[in-house]
Parts: sequence; structure tokens; C-alpha cells
Amino acid sequence: MLKAENIFYSYDDGTKALKGIDFQISQGEIVALVGKNGAGKSTLFLNFNGILRPDEGNIFVDGDMLKYDKKSLIKCRQKLGIVFQNPDDQIFAPTVEEDVAFGPLNLKLSQDETQKRVSEALKRVGMSGFEKKAPHNLSGGQKKRVAIAGILAMKPEIMILDEPTSGLDPVGVRKIIKLLKELNNEGMTILISTHDVDLVVEYADKVYVIVDGEIIGKGTPNEIFNNMEIIKKANLRLPLIAELFKKLEENGKITGLNNNYPLTVKEGYEKITEILK
Amino acid sequence: MKFDMDFIAHNNNLSLMNPYYKLIIAILIMLFSLIVNNLIIDIIVFILMGILITLVAKISFKSYLKFITIPFIFSAITCLYLIFFTGTGEIIFNTHFFGIVVTDKSLNLGINTFCRVFACFSCLGFLALTTPIAEILHCLRSCKVPKIFIEISLLMYNTIFIFLDQLDRMRNAQETRLGYFGTKSAYHSLASLFTNLFVKSLDKSEKLQCALDSRCYDGEIPIYKPSKVKKDA
Repeated sequence: MLKAENIFYSYDDGTKALKGIDFQISQGEIVALVGKNGAGKSTLFLNFNGILRPDEGNIFVDGDMLKYDKKSLIKCRQKLGIVFQNPDDQIFAPTVEEDVAFGPLNLKLSQDETQKRVSEALKRVGMSGFEKKAPHNLSGGQKKRVAIAGILAMKPEIMILDEPTSGLDPVGVRKIIKLLKELNNEGMTILISTHDVDLVVEYADKVYVIVDGEIIGKGTPNEIFNNMEIIKKANLRLPLIAELFKKLEENGKITGLNNNYPLTVKEGYEKITEILK
Repeated sequence: MKFDMDFIAHNNNLSLMNPYYKLIIAILIMLFSLIVNNLIIDIIVFILMGILITLVAKISFKSYLKFITIPFIFSAITCLYLIFFTGTGEIIFNTHFFGIVVTDKSLNLGINTFCRVFACFSCLGFLALTTPIAEILHCLRSCKVPKIFIEISLLMYNTIFIFLDQLDRMRNAQETRLGYFGTKSAYHSLASLFTNLFVKSLDKSEKLQCALDSRCYDGEIPIYKPSKVKKDA
């Protein structure tokens, strides 16, 4: 659905931000892109929707190679919605509804259709009733949801979220993750950048690990988090549950894990009940 | 509590009144006091607007005072300048300092200017305090004000809050490290505060551009005009 082939990108000052990225995401997946700050996650996202143009390599959306003329850019940006890390960078209009309407109106939809989409999108993210509110009076979590609504209203096929849970309180994080899972169940393909490993293992189907502009590992959460070499290289850590089991194993309390640690609370719970039997 | 103009504009007795009326009232009265150019009229306008703002719109007197403090200081400085440094005519007060004198004409000019500024300002204050900015912009749009003005004010309006917020946070961070004790360190802190704000603003504008482009921005902010709210479901 979205495919990147051998993407190289360097900034004007010569810093090489991306060095030969190959990336692929299929319909209906939730993919997590993990890596430390400055690894090139945001830069890669901006390459995906043509804001930045790679020095080398190609982007394919739905099998079509991205060309950089106006028409294909609009088409690409409608299909690939990016929710930025800081909602303040994204929300600009004086009222919530005007901001959400911005995308659909740019797609030249009629006022009626836009209004329908705005109320649908706000309802979807649980922000109905906030239409006339000024964005700067909202809380961080609410702003985030308005930002997501602004993208939803464009009816994208893939939603890309740059660190959607950073700076939110635990309840806010839960709500966002729940919303994303629901959207995914409704058929939305989702790509998330994050470094919250405990969350990644909960929702992601596939994980890409990026270090200094290179993908050093991809696979299911189990494949990635049982490969200590990748974890170390990427400045990540194991999910807390896995750490617990690792420590138990190192001290000889548990045997027979074969480097295959439970990653989520659910898996850990099952493992423990199995052992306690 | 900080002075939140936007909150006041959304929550007062007149915020639901038709914005066109408010715009027309404010502009007509302002033009009137400008054209008539009479001290008494200016004072009447100022008092009238004060009554409208505090008694009719029920905005607390304290908020209104806060709102007019800064323009008061600015116009007071300007008018003092006018009184002391301009005008000819009969000298009514001599400072005996570099020949700076107050003449009857300059005193007249200073006081008149001050009152006019305040009459006009209170009209604008009435508009600003009782009408949410989004509605004012809608009105201006239908009055055929050039798009570019409206777009700039729209973007400015929103970024002002982010800007002030950033300013606040940076100043707190500096004060935490005792950045404003002593004149020298205060100057130094202030300088770095502004440099940093400038750099950050540039950075923010770039990010905003990216975000707008991601939503297919084509150089013109489209207008959202929902049909009247349908009260269904």
C-alpha cells in the first residue's frame, strides 16, 4: 500500500538524515517505527507524503510511483494523513470546526459534505460539542484528538502519527491507543512512530527499528524484542514485562524460556499462571 | 489569573449578539468621534463604551481596567511628548530646561489627542471584548476585506497564544535560575530570551507550513461556512 525503496535524504547543511531506507506497509496493518530521537523518523514521514523530496529512491502509494507535480501530491496527501507530534504545529484555525474543515475544503469538497465530515470526524474522536471552541483552550489530549479529527475528515487510507502519545497523561494515552485500535478495526492502516516500547508490543503488528537513518530491523514485536543486539543498537529497552522475566531467568527462577520472553501484560499473565499450575 | 481576552469574548452577555451589529456600532461611533473631533463627545463616547462593556456585557470592571492599562500607558507617553515638545503660542509653563516649554496650543493638542485615542480605543475594545475573533473575521470577509489581511490575522491570532505561552515558559525557566536578579543579568537574560523566541518562531513557522502542506494547502485558506446548525440527533 505504501512502499519506500532505497530512500536517501540529506538536509541542506549536508547532514545525511536517511541512508537507504526500505519500507513497506500493507493494508490494515498497524506498524510501529521505533528509534531514538533524531534517528530520522519524522524526516521519513515527510518524505512519504512528498513534503520532502528524497535525493534518491522512490515512494509508491497504492502501487503508483509518487511524482512531484501538484495533482499527484494532492492525491498522495489525501491518502496519507500525517498527525504531527505537537498539535500546536498543526492546529491553526480560531475554532475547532474550522481547523477540521481545512483538509476537506482543500480537497474542494462542498460545504455540506465538509460539514458532514467535520461532525463525523469530531464524533469519531469523541470531541463532539467542541466545534466552536478555541483550540488554545483545550487540554493536550483534546488538542491531539482534534488534530486526528482534522486528518480523519480527509478520509485517508493510511494514518501516520508522529509520537501520538508523547506528553499525554496515562488516561490520554489509553484513549488515543483505543481510538487507533478502533480505527484500525474499521480498516484504517496505521503507522506510528514512538519510543514507548511497552505500548508498541500491545498494538503493533509489525515493528521497524530505525537507527541513524537506517532500518536495522523489522519484524513482529516478538522477533524484534527477542533480538538483544537490535535493542541495544537502537537505544531501546525491553518492555517491562520482558525485563521481569529476563531477570527471573537470569537468577534461575524460571527456565525454558529460550530467549522468548512474554512481552505484554496478557502474555506475562498467561506464562505465570502456566508456571504456577 | 492571567488576562484571557478570548475567554471573555466567548463568555459575556453580548457574545451571542449578531456580530454585524457590534461591528457597525463600534465603527460608526468611532467614525463619529473622529469626525466631530470634540473633547466632550470623546469623553461621552468613552463613558458610553465603558457602560456597554461593564454593565451591558457584564464584563468585570477589573478585566476592563487590565485591558486598557497598556494602551493607556502608550497614549499617555505620546501625549506627554506632544504637550512638551510641539506647538507654538503662548507659553503657560516653562521648565527652564533646554528651553522645553508647554504652550497653550500644545497642551490643547495633547489633551485632545489623548481623549480621541481613548474614545476610539474604547470602541475597538467593545468589539474585541464582546466578539470572538472568528466572528469578526467572518464579518470582515463578507465586507470584502482583502483575503490576505484576513489570512494573516487568522494565523497571527492563533500563533499569538502559542508565542505568549512559549514566552511565559522560557521566562519561568530563566527566573528559576535567577536570571533577573541584578540589572546586568536581567539585560542579558532578556536579550537571550528574545533571540531564542525569534529562532523558535522561525522554526514553528516552518513546522506549521509542513503541517498545512500535509493537508493539501494550496496557498489559500478555504472558508468554512456551515449551514445553520441542524439540531438533530
